[in-house]
Order: sequence, then C-alpha cells, then structure tokens
Amino acid sequence: MLLQVNNLSKHFGDFVAVDDLSFSVKEGEVYGFLGQNGAGKSTTIRMLLSLIKPTQGEINIFGFSIDKHREKILERVGAVVERPDLYRYLTGYENLNIFAKLSGKKISKQDVMRCLGVVGLDKRAHDHVRVYSQGMKQRLGIAVALVHDPSLIILDEPTNGLDPQGIADIRNLILKLSREQNKTVLVSSHLLSEIEQVADSMLIINKGKKVVEGNVRELLNPEVVQLEIIATSNEQAMEAIATSAWAGGLKVSAARHIVLETSASSVPELTKYLVEHNIGVLSLRAVNSLEAYFLSLTSGNEV
Amino acid sequence: MKFSNIVDIELYKIFRKPRTYIAFGAVAAIVGLIQLGFYADGESYMKFGMQTLSDSFDVSGNILNGYLMAFIILQTLLVHVPLLIALVAGDMISGEANQGTLRLLLTKPVSRNQMILGKFTASAIYTLALLIWMAIWALGISILIFGVDDMLILKSESVTQVLSTDVLWRYVAAFAFASLAMLTVSALSFFLSLFAENSIGPIMATMSIIIVFTILNALDLPIFNLVKPYLFTTHMLGWKGFFDVQINENNEQIVGSVENLPAVLFSAAVLLLHIVGFLVASMVIFKRKDILS
Repeated sequence: MLLQVNNLSKHFGDFVAVDDLSFSVKEGEVYGFLGQNGAGKSTTIRMLLSLIKPTQGEINIFGFSIDKHREKILERVGAVVERPDLYRYLTGYENLNIFAKLSGKKISKQDVMRCLGVVGLDKRAHDHVRVYSQGMKQRLGIAVALVHDPSLIILDEPTNGLDPQGIADIRNLILKLSREQNKTVLVSSHLLSEIEQVADSMLIINKGKKVVEGNVRELLNPEVVQLEIIATSNEQAMEAIATSAWAGGLKVSAARHIVLETSASSVPELTKYLVEHNIGVLSLRAVNSLEAYFLSLTSGNEV
Repeated sequence: MKFSNIVDIELYKIFRKPRTYIAFGAVAAIVGLIQLGFYADGESYMKFGMQTLSDSFDVSGNILNGYLMAFIILQTLLVHVPLLIALVAGDMISGEANQGTLRLLLTKPVSRNQMILGKFTASAIYTLALLIWMAIWALGISILIFGVDDMLILKSESVTQVLSTDVLWRYVAAFAFASLAMLTVSALSFFLSLFAENSIGPIMATMSIIIVFTILNALDLPIFNLVKPYLFTTHMLGWKGFFDVQINENNEQIVGSVENLPAVLFSAAVLLLHIVGFLVASMVIFKRKDILS
C-alpha cells in the first residue's frame, strides 16, 4: 500500500472532526474521498500532510510514518488543500517558481514553464495572480502540486468554483496523470458524480466516520437501483406494492413519492404491474442505491 | 533544502510587496523634513538652545553639524521605527495565514523550524536594511548638508562635547545597538504573528506592548521600578550611552571611551536575551501548531 491510515481521529475540544478512520490507497490508483461539506475530508487531508496533528492513529506513506519522516515523505507528495491560495502580488510564474524551489529538487525555468503549460497557463505565466480567474488559480494550484513530479498527488476539492469546461479539464488531467504517468492520486469531493468519473476506489465518510470503502464499479453496481415513483394515487400504489414481490424493497412512502429498492431489470415489469392495477405512473426515477444513500446524507435525511 | 534558499525566497516575497517600501519612504520623508526644518531655522533654534551655555562659555564653530543632526534624528525616529518594523515582521506568519499560503508552504519538504528561522532571518535582514537606510539619511545626508565638527550634546544638567575625530565609531556602535533594539521589536512582532490570521493584530499588539512598557518606564513608582530592569523598552535607548564620554582627573575627555560601558553592554545582553527568547518560543509554538487557516 502506498498510503495506509489506521484508526485516525482528530478532536477539536469536544468536537470530533475525524473518528477512528482507516483506509488504504494502492500505488497508481485514483482514490476518491467523498463526503458532504464538513464531513471531515479536509481535516483528514491536513493530517495526511502533517498540517495538523492527529489526536490518535497513524499515517504511513511510502512505508514511512508521516510523524517521523515528514520531510522525506513530502518530497514525493504534491498537494492542494482546499482553495489554492497563492501570492496575489506575484505572477503565476513567480508563484510556481517559489514552490518549485521549496520542493528541494532542482527545477529549471523550462520545467516551470512546461508545468504551466500542462495546466494551460503558459500564455498567462507573467500576469499577476490577482487578475487570475478562480479557475486559473485552481489550475495554478494544481501546477504547484505537480511541479516537482511527485509520486502521490493529493487534491482537495480541485473542481470547486470551476465552470463545466474547467471541471472536465481537471478530470482529464487526473486521468492522464494516473493512466499515462502512473501517479497515485487522492482526490476529495462532495460530488459523487465527480468521483465516479475518475476514481478506481473510493471512501465515503460522514461526520468523520467511514461509511463505505471499496472499488467504485462494485460500489456503484448498476444492477441495484432505488426508484422514486410518483403515481396517480400513491396510496393505491403502496397497497399494490406491499402485496407484491417488491414489498421487501419498499423503503419510504411519502405523500409525494414512494421509494423502492429493486433490481434494474425488474423496472419494466413493475411498471406493467402498477398499470395492470389501474395505477398510472406519473414519474419514475432510478438512481443507484449508493448515490441515493449519498444524496440522503447531503440532504440530511438518512434512508 | 538549503536554509539560504528559504531566506532568499522570504526576502524575495518581502521586497516584492508594496507595503515594504512604505517604511523606507516614511524614513526618507521624516528625515528629509527634519533636515529641511533645521536647514531653514536651525540657527535660531540652536541660539535659543545654547542661550544659558553662551552666558558662561565661548561657543564657536559649526554647532549645527551633521553629527548633531544625526543624534537629533535618531532620538526622534527610534521611537517610531518599531511601527515600521512591525509592519513587516508582524505579517510574516499571520500574512501567510491570511492569504491561505501557509498551508501550501507547509506541504513542502521544509521543516517547521527551518521555516521559522528562515522567515525570522528574512525579517531581521529587512530590519537591518531599514536601519542602514536610516543611517544613510540621518548621518550620511546630514553630513553632506550640514558638514562636520565637534558634537555638542545638551542634556538637562550637563553638556557633552565629543570630538569630531571621536564620533564616527560611536555612530557605528550606536547603530549596532539600535539594530539589537529593533530586532527585539521584530522578534516580538514575529512571535505575535503566530497567533493571528491577519497582520493588523500583531502590529497593534506590538505597538501596544511598547507603549505600555514605555509608560511604565516613565512612571517613577516603587512597584513599577521593580519590573523596569526586565522590560526591553528600558534598554532600547541604550545606544545613547555611546555618546557619554569618560572624563579623566584633569576634566579632559578620554578619546575612545564610554562612560558606563557595562551598563550599555548589560542593556545589549537583555535585548539579545529577548530576541533569543521570542525566537525559541516561536519555534516551539509553531512546531506544535495545527494549521487551520
């Protein structure tokens, strides 16, 4: 394992930001770190980078403890934590040059410019950061993380504040780094759709605790779906489903809609069954069960 | 990571910030104004000041010379310079926290002790650069404008005459001492910047401490007299000691002497102790600090 976290906790007074969290990241994979805002993602990432000290637990990166080998580990890590704040009174090139020098490696001017080219900022390299858009700052932050050619890249919400094109660019960059350069990338987000598109494995945390960890394809199994049904009469539809083979999947019945967990292949049959019972289906929306679970976390209603 | 690289980077950041040059501009403007004032009205000012002395002695020569001007300017400016020092030193950590760059800096393979030492060294170099700039204006330009001669320093109960051939080394020593005093302010401000996320707090706190300590110094009350020897502000004006010349039994001044050198050295040691204390405290606190900005 390239990164191993065991029983990590962080308390701020009585508040528990991270609670007994364990996970591991394999070399060369893109690891998604998912959770709603305030779930403890950034606190965990800050502990991975030794910005804050854990209350308990241990972190090993490249086989070394971050507590004892901080500098040795950070030489091989590139990171952006939350917003990529940079020196506004300096140009993009000057900012990147400063962080390149601090990385401890010999990095030439050409390398700095090449790195700016990778994130599409080479033409604006000599503009002051104060005139950069949010997207440009975000890309410069990623350049800071990449400039010393690290093995592990940690990106905390890298698409925050970006337009759709910017989000797609970052996504492609992450995939390129992983697939073409065999970099290990840990990327956090509060959007499942973002993680789904780039990550090989993922971890969902809620209120500082691990909810689930595993392979993205397995976790987002398309065979099991959660249906949100709005019928002409939800009451009649409920009665019909309760006496059918789908009764076990019934999750929630509400005045506005019914929530039902079932296999994707049985959806046409269910629709037919309801129509045969003279119940019109006004709306039927299928979401993956994990996505539904995550949506329930973000909306505050656990299923 | 070479320590000199960190210092280079920190100096680069300091001298790329427009606010850094406020201090240099302010010193040049204030000194220039004082020089202009004395150039225009200095004669009458000096006549008034020397009135009682002229009744008993025959005072001749260039009394209002560059050396005296530098002394007057130093007395005036060294009270206000701490604010200009705090402007940069108080921003060293808090400014990074405010901009959000502190967390980015600390994701790089630089130890926290190195970072603190590098930042403090850079702020110390800025402090020294400001004092050299002040010396150029206060002494260099004053000598160019007002010329040189023996230096007469009027005190409430005495007059000290320092021969022109015996003055220059005293200024070198005085500026070296003033550097220690200003480095103490710099170290205090730097230390306070660890606890804030914008630079206004450390700057205000530094000035407040200096003002409170200066008031305590001025109040001649037994309870305050107990603590005065331990306050760094008590020792900040110790540079004046270099202009107190020893007198021999024939009432002649001893060239190259300082009347109370042990007191000057004690003050210097107290200031040095404060600098080391603030720096070590900064390192210990920063090493344990959670970076939440």
